[in-house]
Amino acid sequence: MAELTGKYLVGVFDDDDVILHAIPKLRKAGVKIHEVYSPFPIHGLDDALGHPRTRIGIAAFLFGLTGCACALTMMTWMLGFDWPMNIGGKDYISLPNFIPITFEMTVLFTAFGMVTTFFVTNGLSPNPAPVLFDPRSTDNKFVMAIEMGKNKMSEEDITKALRDLGAGEVNIKQF
Amino acid sequence: MASVHAIPSIEERFEFTSGAKRNLLIGGAIGLALIIIGAFLLANGSGHETAHAAENAANAGADHGATAAQHEAGAAGGHGGSSWMTRIWANIWLNAVYFTGISVIGMFFMSYNYLAQAGWSVVFKRIPEALPSFLPVTGVIMLITFFLGGHDLFHWTHEDLYDASNEGYDAIIDGKSGFLNTPFFLIRLVLYFVGWYFLWTVLRKASLEEDRIGGLTNYDKSVKFGTAFLVFFAVTSSTSAWDFVMSIETHWFSTMFGWYTLASWHVTGLAVITLMVVTLRERGYLKAVNHSHLQDLGKFVFAFSIFWTYVWFAQFLLIYYANLPEEIIHYKERFSGYGGIYRAPFFINLILNFFFPFLVLMTRDSKRTHSILKLACWSIIVGHYFDFYVNIMPGTVGANAGFGPVEFGFILVFACAFIWFVSAQLAKANLIPKNHPMLEESLHHDIA
Amino acid sequence: MHVTSPVRPPLVTGGKTYADVTEDVCRHVEGKPTKEWKIAFIAALVVLIYGTACLFWTWWEGLGVWGLNKTVGWAWDITNFVWWVGIGHAGTLISAILLLFRQKWRTSINRAAEAMTIFAVICAASFILMHMGRPWLAYWALPLPNTFGSLWVNFNSPLVWDVFAISTYFSVSLVFWYIGLIPDLATIRDRAQNKVSRFIYGTFAMGWNGSAKTWSRYEYISLILAGLSTPLVLSVHTIVSMDFATSVIPGWHTTIFPPYFVAGAIFSGFAMVQNLMLITRVVYRLEDYITIEHIESMNKIITLTGSIVGIAYLTEFFIAWYSGVEYESYAFINRATGPYWWAYWAMMTCNVISPQLFWSRSLRRSVTWTFFISVIVNIGMWFERFVIIVTSLHRDYLPSSWAMFSPTFYDIGDYIFSFGLFGTLFLLFSKYLPVVNMAEVKAIIRSSSERLPKNISGVAKGARVANPSFNKDAE
Repeated sequence: MAELTGKYLVGVFDDDDVILHAIPKLRKAGVKIHEVYSPFPIHGLDDALGHPRTRIGIAAFLFGLTGCACALTMMTWMLGFDWPMNIGGKDYISLPNFIPITFEMTVLFTAFGMVTTFFVTNGLSPNPAPVLFDPRSTDNKFVMAIEMGKNKMSEEDITKALRDLGAGEVNIKQF
Repeated sequence: MASVHAIPSIEERFEFTSGAKRNLLIGGAIGLALIIIGAFLLANGSGHETAHAAENAANAGADHGATAAQHEAGAAGGHGGSSWMTRIWANIWLNAVYFTGISVIGMFFMSYNYLAQAGWSVVFKRIPEALPSFLPVTGVIMLITFFLGGHDLFHWTHEDLYDASNEGYDAIIDGKSGFLNTPFFLIRLVLYFVGWYFLWTVLRKASLEEDRIGGLTNYDKSVKFGTAFLVFFAVTSSTSAWDFVMSIETHWFSTMFGWYTLASWHVTGLAVITLMVVTLRERGYLKAVNHSHLQDLGKFVFAFSIFWTYVWFAQFLLIYYANLPEEIIHYKERFSGYGGIYRAPFFINLILNFFFPFLVLMTRDSKRTHSILKLACWSIIVGHYFDFYVNIMPGTVGANAGFGPVEFGFILVFACAFIWFVSAQLAKANLIPKNHPMLEESLHHDIA
Repeated sequence: MHVTSPVRPPLVTGGKTYADVTEDVCRHVEGKPTKEWKIAFIAALVVLIYGTACLFWTWWEGLGVWGLNKTVGWAWDITNFVWWVGIGHAGTLISAILLLFRQKWRTSINRAAEAMTIFAVICAASFILMHMGRPWLAYWALPLPNTFGSLWVNFNSPLVWDVFAISTYFSVSLVFWYIGLIPDLATIRDRAQNKVSRFIYGTFAMGWNGSAKTWSRYEYISLILAGLSTPLVLSVHTIVSMDFATSVIPGWHTTIFPPYFVAGAIFSGFAMVQNLMLITRVVYRLEDYITIEHIESMNKIITLTGSIVGIAYLTEFFIAWYSGVEYESYAFINRATGPYWWAYWAMMTCNVISPQLFWSRSLRRSVTWTFFISVIVNIGMWFERFVIIVTSLHRDYLPSSWAMFSPTFYDIGDYIFSFGLFGTLFLLFSKYLPVVNMAEVKAIIRSSSERLPKNISGVAKGARVANPSFNKDAE
């Protein structure tokens, strides 16, 4: 996560529907929203904020492909070339018997690869005291952070807009 | 936000135009012509192949299995009608089983959606609802085919197998006679179709009444009868698969076979439903079906094509691994028997039903695109024809199988008749069940 | 906008606000252990210690202390293994398959069910280690280069498939569970009163801040993990079933085994979830979150999967006759009428007949009946594995090798060990982690609450939150 610097206006909302409807109006008024924090995922929040769709799926597919290839290579090499063994009269490389392990390794690689990617791209790491705009955003409040440095509108105007659109509190957070 | 959810009118009437009717008639006529030409060619050109059947089958593999294969081949060549007639009967049977599956899955889909209180599928519910109207047709066809061509299709119908003094006595088949005998088979056959069709008429009637008067009584009734169907189908889907397909190779058995056939029917039915939804949408109907519905349908097709593959693979792997003669003969015949003519459809089956749809339907966007959905659905629809082809043909026509005008002709005739019946059914009611209690949920279905 | 049809029953009762959800769930994590919990924990610990002693003696003395013999080489060990791993399946079904099907009732129970999955898989794995006899050589099951030259493990063996399947299943379930825990750990971190718990929960919360971007990726990977876990959970019991089905032992070699084992696994797992949740909801007063609707939905799945299992039993029996293979026919007749007839009929009664009682609406909405039948189902599913394993083995091809199996003190003691382990782990979980997924329950309140409070956000009751420190910065 990028370091936070400067001054932020923090609008605290009580209701997920209210904040969801406030976003397009604020953006229309020209306010640049830094980010919205909520205790649970809000349907449609992404589109409202204009966040691009995540492409983690592509990474997952590649991880899966790697796992699949690793498993097949490993088994083919070990049982087919390095130390061939006659087992039940089957071929040394008997593909149907390799499918179960290939499947498991594909899933293993995909799952772990994707979760690692998720942690890295979101900057999540063991950090007991992250910087939060408002600690209640993991409980029952919906928090909108607006970076003053990136906004041309005055503090009063934005505060008023936030209040008009249903923010219960508007606080200032300085880093 | 609001604009995304603008809901188009739910008053829609499907029109079964005279132009469409004409095209279907022409299609059917072409199919019929192909069958006649094909049958004529077969009758005059392929008589000598019968001898090969037994010979090739004997090469098919393991010792015990080979005897079994000879029996099956005997069914194809030795008894009853000529080989080209057998091929005609086998084609009729194959298509009848295949389209029975698609039709009954319409009912299956509705029933489990009712039971699971699914809301999203309501908007296109009339599509699966129309499919079972074809059941009486395939039911009658199967009944007639069994009477006229039963001996050509089902080895176990031959009386001499059960007479211990006879040379052709078969102790194993004799042991199955408590289940595989003509009267019981006919009772079951009639029971399946009557049971499936009757329960469908109840659901259909409730659905149409709901359109007229609204309220919850019909919904509750549908949940009840849907559940009753699921209970009935839980048993009959397996037994019908044993009857229609597994008993063809009378010696062979697999406990998975019932669920295997169900999986095959199910994914085909889903592909047909999806294809119909997409096609209707392209023709300007079902405007209320949005991209979320399409994506979910795509997911269903994707998931159940994988499920079919899972069942296919589990059955194959266990038989391949244990390598017991009485079981492995089934795959031997398909893989290397009869001069290897079934190897191509064997692999086509896997490619069209698993690899292609798996790769094509993996991403989110592909499931929201008409052309890709149609491609994947067609792949599965064609692929599962071959699934049944691979299961039915070796035990009936054996080495005399092929893919020519007869096969094309029968597919065409059946498909045109199927589309006719389903279209006629669709035209009978509003395309969207306007008083369904979950309709509002379905109209606002949005999975982003 | 999401619309919920009025015919759907509410899933959260009592007009809960978001703050109420946090409070009702966190209360148990933050408070001191209750007396009931302490008693239960000590009891579980005693059982575990007793079991550990038995297990220690099993390893010290060797597997000869079990009742196995030359004919019946697998009995309680593998029965218990399959039983536990089957129980584990319900957690993944609830968290993955029901997520894909967007079943909202899953949200209140998925956390505990997934925890149960993980502990059940640990118990299952312990039987694998046990039946090796020399657990310190367990790594021989892995494809590692070794001193005998490069003699690799046999990848054609379903037992090696099991090694891969169980370890993948365990680790992926753990990750899935952990990902689901992160937002809730952050909630606890932000409410924490003392430094120690803030540090511990905070560390595991990975600096979660609930930003919209993170949430959207979180939802996305949850869906993909669910999409992966679904075939994974099928594959695990499929491979477990192949431990038997790839062989040529009558009663074991049958192609329906894979899906039928999966259905049986879900069946027993749901029964175990019912048992755990019925206790948890009362002890933790979570009746507003785990309602009768939840219990009824789970009972419906129990009936469904129980019926699938019943159909599989009948199919097996029918095909054994239909096949005309005399060994196969004998194996099944022997099951029903041979010396182990009681095990067979116990299995049939518990698994096929008892879940059919849930066709009655009043029974499936009765807490007492649900608890009772769930116990019955799990007894039945234990007998199912016992029947499959022991009755198939005890009649060898040579009548001179026919034998019976009777459990010894250590067979029983080692089984008891797994209960002690499971109980201890589950109690630790229920004390130190939120038993209900708060974030997911909050997400369905608007659509599925019985009635909505005027202020859906509610008033946070935590002392620190009532007097937040950031106010010093503000204004």
